[in-house]
Amino acid sequence: MQIIACYSNKGGVGKTATAVNLAYAFAASGRRVLLCDLDPQGASGFYFRVKPSKKLTDARFFEDVERFTKAIRGSDYDNLDILPANMSFREFDVFLSRMKNGQSRLKKALKAVKSDYDLVLLDCPPNISMLSENVFHAADAVVVPVIPTTLSQRTFEQLLEFFGNSDLPEDKIHAFFSMVQGIKSLHGEIIATMTDAHPRRFTQATIPFASEIERMGLARAPVLATAPNSRAGKAYQALFEEIAGRANG
Amino acid sequence: MTARGETFYMPAACLTKLAERNVQNLTPVLDWTEGNRPFAIRDSFDQRLRTTRRLLLEDGSLMELLSTADGMCSQPATPGASFVAEFAEGPVKAALADLSPLRALLSITSGIARSGRLALVDDEGKTRARAQLRELESSSGNAVILLTPQGLRGYDTALHDLVARIRDCGGTPLAAGNLYRMIEPASTGYVAKPRIEVGREETALDAASDLITGYLPVARANEQGIIADLDTEFLHDYRIALRKIRSVLSLFKDVYDPEQTAELKARFSALMAQTGPLRDLDVYLLGQQSFRDLVPERMHSGLDRMFALLRHRRTVEQATLAAHLRSKGYQKDIKALARMFARRRKLLPGPNASRASYDLACELIWKRYRRIRRIAAELNARTPDEEVHELRIECKKLRYLMEFFGSVFPQDDFANILKPLKKLQDSLGLFNDYAVQQTKLQVFADDLGDDPHKLEIAQNIGALVIVLHQKQVAEREKIIAAFARFNSNKMQRTIRELFHDGKEA
Repeated sequence: MQIIACYSNKGGVGKTATAVNLAYAFAASGRRVLLCDLDPQGASGFYFRVKPSKKLTDARFFEDVERFTKAIRGSDYDNLDILPANMSFREFDVFLSRMKNGQSRLKKALKAVKSDYDLVLLDCPPNISMLSENVFHAADAVVVPVIPTTLSQRTFEQLLEFFGNSDLPEDKIHAFFSMVQGIKSLHGEIIATMTDAHPRRFTQATIPFASEIERMGLARAPVLATAPNSRAGKAYQALFEEIAGRANG
Repeated sequence: MTARGETFYMPAACLTKLAERNVQNLTPVLDWTEGNRPFAIRDSFDQRLRTTRRLLLEDGSLMELLSTADGMCSQPATPGASFVAEFAEGPVKAALADLSPLRALLSITSGIARSGRLALVDDEGKTRARAQLRELESSSGNAVILLTPQGLRGYDTALHDLVARIRDCGGTPLAAGNLYRMIEPASTGYVAKPRIEVGREETALDAASDLITGYLPVARANEQGIIADLDTEFLHDYRIALRKIRSVLSLFKDVYDPEQTAELKARFSALMAQTGPLRDLDVYLLGQQSFRDLVPERMHSGLDRMFALLRHRRTVEQATLAAHLRSKGYQKDIKALARMFARRRKLLPGPNASRASYDLACELIWKRYRRIRRIAAELNARTPDEEVHELRIECKKLRYLMEFFGSVFPQDDFANILKPLKKLQDSLGLFNDYAVQQTKLQVFADDLGDDPHKLEIAQNIGALVIVLHQKQVAEREKIIAAFARFNSNKMQRTIRELFHDGKEA
């Protein structure tokens, strides 16, 4: 079972849209996917029309095998299930550490779930300072959307710094440019600079700033399901193929 | 993840009922995939699948087998395949292993299939449960729906509610019988061996006429299959039916007027004679592999050439027989015969016509039995082939008599006699086959004319003839042993009691 975390230390960068579309694309490619909605703001569960469970907010949740597995909901798409958990980052931290480590009850619980899925995709809450490095330890790959602006440039460098300080392998990071607007010359310049400064960290695929992605909130379905041939749809497909290739390599 | 449940069946009209009302606050949404595909239900002409409560459904490029005993299995369909042996390897082929390799799987009904989905959707537009749908509409207009409910993880209640609604609306777990209901009753009902019950006190004339009236439709039912050359069993069954009729005419001594009997026998023999050459070729071609197995591999090339020639001859003979069966003359003749035995007004009674069936049966069977014992008593390693041949004919007649009159005798005793008789007949049959094959192969070799491979073929046939001769000699020993079992003291006693009031002579 592979774990891919969709993470950004900055909000509003299209992270949840990415998690939703990547989860869909992995599932459509035949892998059995569990998308864990860990970001109360992003609510990827919303895009799959899965109602958040009221029972899942207390900390004991992750120690209770039954409740954990029972909270999983099938999406409308084949091979794709959702864990619509509304939880705080603190619990998320616990969740991840238990998922990877030791003799915890959660670990045992996950064994049952483990055989159900080939891939767990985590839609993470955005906050680097509070986030335990366990997140990054746990994941096999960390997918990071970056808007090509000077501000994003700084936050991305903070993330790399965090990886360096925590002795985490930088090559777990698979960044891509998000909400790219072709007409903005600044976007082009920053993309060139950052790609240059961080060779191999950025995927070739970029996600455009597109109305289809904004409309996801109305359609409540992945762009790849509703408009696979749109510019955004094709971009997500390309991103998926690159991430899948990198994650396997 | 989705969990697949069992498949349900319902008439198409019920689906409308199912989709028009909410299921516990969930809205049913019906969605048909665009486009459709052909489907067919297939079975052998003798309905081997239907009678064993199985159904073979070819749906587009998928072949599915539904069985009451073993549930459902599927594999990709093999285009153009009509015999089990021609199917690609797979679970369906494996599950059909018991079918006769000689019978084609014919389309017994066909139509158009389409797929769709029924979803139960909540107030957020989220699907909570769904069912895969398949609509099969036969060309006769009957349409049915197959529903396979699929639960979504975490929504067990919705799945439960959906299944309950399906059942409420008339859905029943899919079984082979459900789909057979789509088929018109008219298109079913071929029975190769009809049960014709002869009553003990029924007159011999009525019994004979009942038997002939029973077998004539069997022969006729096979005509189209022979004409279309669907498989070799049509001709085989056709011949058996005619042979039974001829046997009734010749074995039921003096039941019909002797002159009329002779005329009828001649008419049925003439019908039979038309079929001989094609059946002979079928037998050789079906036995192709076993003939090849009898000789070393280096002899195969000649045999393969021989079979190629036989195949060519078969094409010609098949066309000839098909033309004959389609001809006005044949159709007129067979219809006239059917009419004659159905109405019976023109049948002239013979001296035995009004005897009770039981009485006549005992006399005929006892006579045959004594004749068989007389011939078999002389049997040894030096007995001429002709006498073994005669024994075979007598045994066959005895068997036919016993089968015709089976219903007037106690079943258990009857079965006890038939078992060793069948064994004896098997041996006699093989002995005869080996003899006939040697002669016919020799004739074939002599008739090769200026075939460029004449020498090679003749040599290979020569080798085959030697092997067949050895097998014939070996079979003779088995006949003697088989007769001894048939002629045991216990058997003699049973036969005496059954057919001769227990008297010695």
